[in-house]
Amino acid sequence: MWGTGFFHGMAMTMRNMLRGPITLRYPEERVALPERARGMLQHKYDETGAPKCTACMICVNTCPDFILTIDWHKTDDGGKHIDRYLYEVGGCMFCGLCVEACPFDAIEMGKEYELASTDVRSLYRTLLCDVPAAGPKRKAAEGGEPGA
Amino acid sequence: MSLAASIALRAVLALALMLANGVVLIYMLRKVLAHLHLRLGPMYRGWHGVLQTTNDIVKLLTKEDFVPSAADKWLFTIAPLMVFVPSLMAYLALPFGPSLRFANLDGGLLYTFAVMSLVPLGVMMAGWASNSKWSLIGGMRAAAQQISYEVPLLLSTMGVVLMAGSLNLSEIVRSQQGFWLGVIPRWYILPQLGGFAIFLVAGLAELNQTPFDMSEADSELIAGFSNEYSGMRFGFLFLAEFSNSFVVSALAVTLFFGGWLIPGLEQNAVALSLAPVVFVIKTYIGIFVFMWIRGTMPRIRIDQMLSLGWKGLIPLSLGWLMITALLLKAVGA
Repeated sequence: MWGTGFFHGMAMTMRNMLRGPITLRYPEERVALPERARGMLQHKYDETGAPKCTACMICVNTCPDFILTIDWHKTDDGGKHIDRYLYEVGGCMFCGLCVEACPFDAIEMGKEYELASTDVRSLYRTLLCDVPAAGPKRKAAEGGEPGA
Repeated sequence: MSLAASIALRAVLALALMLANGVVLIYMLRKVLAHLHLRLGPMYRGWHGVLQTTNDIVKLLTKEDFVPSAADKWLFTIAPLMVFVPSLMAYLALPFGPSLRFANLDGGLLYTFAVMSLVPLGVMMAGWASNSKWSLIGGMRAAAQQISYEVPLLLSTMGVVLMAGSLNLSEIVRSQQGFWLGVIPRWYILPQLGGFAIFLVAGLAELNQTPFDMSEADSELIAGFSNEYSGMRFGFLFLAEFSNSFVVSALAVTLFFGGWLIPGLEQNAVALSLAPVVFVIKTYIGIFVFMWIRGTMPRIRIDQMLSLGWKGLIPLSLGWLMITALLLKAVGA
């Protein structure tokens, strides 16, 4: 009927008013993140505290934004040594494909989402620097069973 | 007390009431609109942001008083006062209680409408003198809108005047004492429901409130007629707007909702001593309804608004006046 829209709208705003605000005062109050919320990429570490990354380059090749870079070299014993694992967070769209692609469960999407910065250099994050990559050779060097 | 001292004291009291109203209403508007939109509104200055408005006023007072070089300086300077002073004068006839009012005018209703009709003049002056196209459009719209809606606004109250037999606002309130059929308060809202509906629509237009805020129209005209104003001049225009909404709401309470009366307690001494409080609470409920409408409705177009006024509300209010007069004659005979 003509004119009922007015009362419908009034009822709707009054219902909103009685519901109470849904906004949070952000810097003071934070919303609890959902379990699978994707923040900044981070590495996983084994029980000895060494990164689980094998420098297999699958994440680098998977990334649709080409923001991951791994600089590594072969060591004398035939293993891999990671010089630098570079993550350009400014270009990351937090799709999580790198995490899905990783066959060694070595990376995960963390919960850090406040990534704004006034310094563009801080958007280039070096996640790993000068560490031996995970693999049989590192296990052997640590005294574990080779060929794990 | 001499007459001059009495007049000066009343003027100062009216000014204090108007300023206090402005402070409260600006805070109330921001909070009410925020909660209607599921937001929080001001939260940081004082408990739940209660000091936000005082901070805003300090900001307005300390801002540069700026006059655009192309503006008509005289008109630009006096225009805010031409808006502010009539809106202050409109408090004169409002009955806050059985004996509490600034003046007891026999033509109180006509007087209030007469001074309220000076407001569009100031608004148009502000728009013209600013020498800016947005201000000019805003000022012209305000003039067209307020002049065309004054007619139905006044006509819609005539039914009440016929029933009360007086233009004195205190007498109109007194005639609403008692009950119909022993239970329904004798307020004029019931027999004059049609008149009240016209009064509400025309009042919203008269106040430049959404859905009739064409003269401000933030999304089209930035701030309409007050575009080029800064500092306390803008503050005057702003305060006058809030003060007008108090006056129109107070008129609605006086004419349709029994003014200061509490049904059944008309002769009770305690209730009578609380009369101003009752009156102000009723008025603020009315203002809340204005804000509620503002938080709900979108703005209509200027041509829609003018055709609603001239083709809809004026014939309707004339028809309503005729029906009221005929019924009163029939019942009286």
